[in-house]
Amino acid sequence: MQVFNWLFKVPSGTAAVTAKDRMRTMLVHDRLELPAGRLEVLEEELTAVVARYFDLEPDTTRFDLQQMDRQAALIANFRLVRSKC
Amino acid sequence: MSGRVIVITSGKGGVGKTTASANIGVALANTGASVCLVDMDIGLRNLDILMGLENRVVYNLVDVVEERCKLRQALVKDKKMPNLNLLPAAQTRDKTAVNAEQMKKLCEELKSMFDFVLVDSPAGIESGFENACAGAEEAIVITTPEMSAVRDADRIIGLLEARKDEITQYRLVLNRIRPKMVANSDMMGVEDVLEILSIKLLGAVPEDEEIIISTNKGEPVAGTDNTKSGLAFRNIARRLRGEEVPFMDMDAKSDTWVTRIVNFFNPVRV
Ligand SMILES: Nc1ncnc2c1ncn2[C@@H]1O[C@H](COP(=O)(O)OP(=O)(O)OP(=O)(O)O)[C@@H](O)[C@H]1O
Ligand SMILES: [Mg+2]
Repeated sequence: MQVFNWLFKVPSGTAAVTAKDRMRTMLVHDRLELPAGRLEVLEEELTAVVARYFDLEPDTTRFDLQQMDRQAALIANFRLVRSKC
Repeated sequence: MSGRVIVITSGKGGVGKTTASANIGVALANTGASVCLVDMDIGLRNLDILMGLENRVVYNLVDVVEERCKLRQALVKDKKMPNLNLLPAAQTRDKTAVNAEQMKKLCEELKSMFDFVLVDSPAGIESGFENACAGAEEAIVITTPEMSAVRDADRIIGLLEARKDEITQYRLVLNRIRPKMVANSDMMGVEDVLEILSIKLLGAVPEDEEIIISTNKGEPVAGTDNTKSGLAFRNIARRLRGEEVPFMDMDAKSDTWVTRIVNFFNPVRV
């Protein structure tokens, strides 16, 4: 079994991928000097504003902070059902 | 003559600034350029040891700044290459002994004497870093592939960005890469770190026991043949001189049963 493992060891991939993901999130926050939890508050407030104008598909709102070169981009995605008038 | 002043910096301590300074200095001198290594880690003098010059230090950088000696008197010539010089740090003072203005003036003078002035900076992001950067137009950022070192490097890159007017170019040296661990996805590789930091690569240096041996001998690996790390530093020097040198294939191929068998019969690769 040990020989088998040695020969056919599947690259686990986890540590490097986890490190990279954690780094990305960490650096976006570092660069913006963004305190933890702050984004969640913004998400709540922004969703409330949009919800005043539209009926939203429940549980589909997505909020992503992405890195673009050395800058950050905030990408918000709301699924709209219909306008409230 | 107007040489290039390049500061070597990292944020996190112990990632290889002094090792890189010594080796890039040796490698540049080997290409025929005149080089001055400046040890700005005042109070924690190391560069003289790596160069094997600790017995020849008479005056230091603080003596020059405080005008106790002439600049030429403080320069220590390398044992093998007369075109390689060291301006040692003071061992008994601290980072406040030299300010940014004084450093700028010193670099101006050095620039008129040498093709390359390499400034080894202390760890951290405070005044020691600021002063080491004061006379520089270029920077080399050093990090290892570890998360904490990469995070600190990112901080440094932010500070260098803020000095865009003075520091017009900065590139990364990724140090202590362990190709096997990268191949097994146990740690981040060159591509990962470059992507995260959004920075240009100057070179990648593998983890190498020869570095420890060479430090003990006082002869940087870049001056000897047959070491992977030495070759990496020589490539870095050539790139600094504007040559296009292909990057060493450091991220060893993925670890499958085929490569395992191949590596078993051909253990020395990478
Ligand atoms: N590629 C490498 N392979 C193996 N060991 C290395 C490598 N690079 C550096 N080292 C070792 O790591 C240690 C720290 O290196 P070095 O003193 O150059 O770091 P530094 O960034 O100048 O540290 P400080 O922040 O304290 O000034 C030394 O013992 C050195 O021999
Ligand atoms: Mg050092």
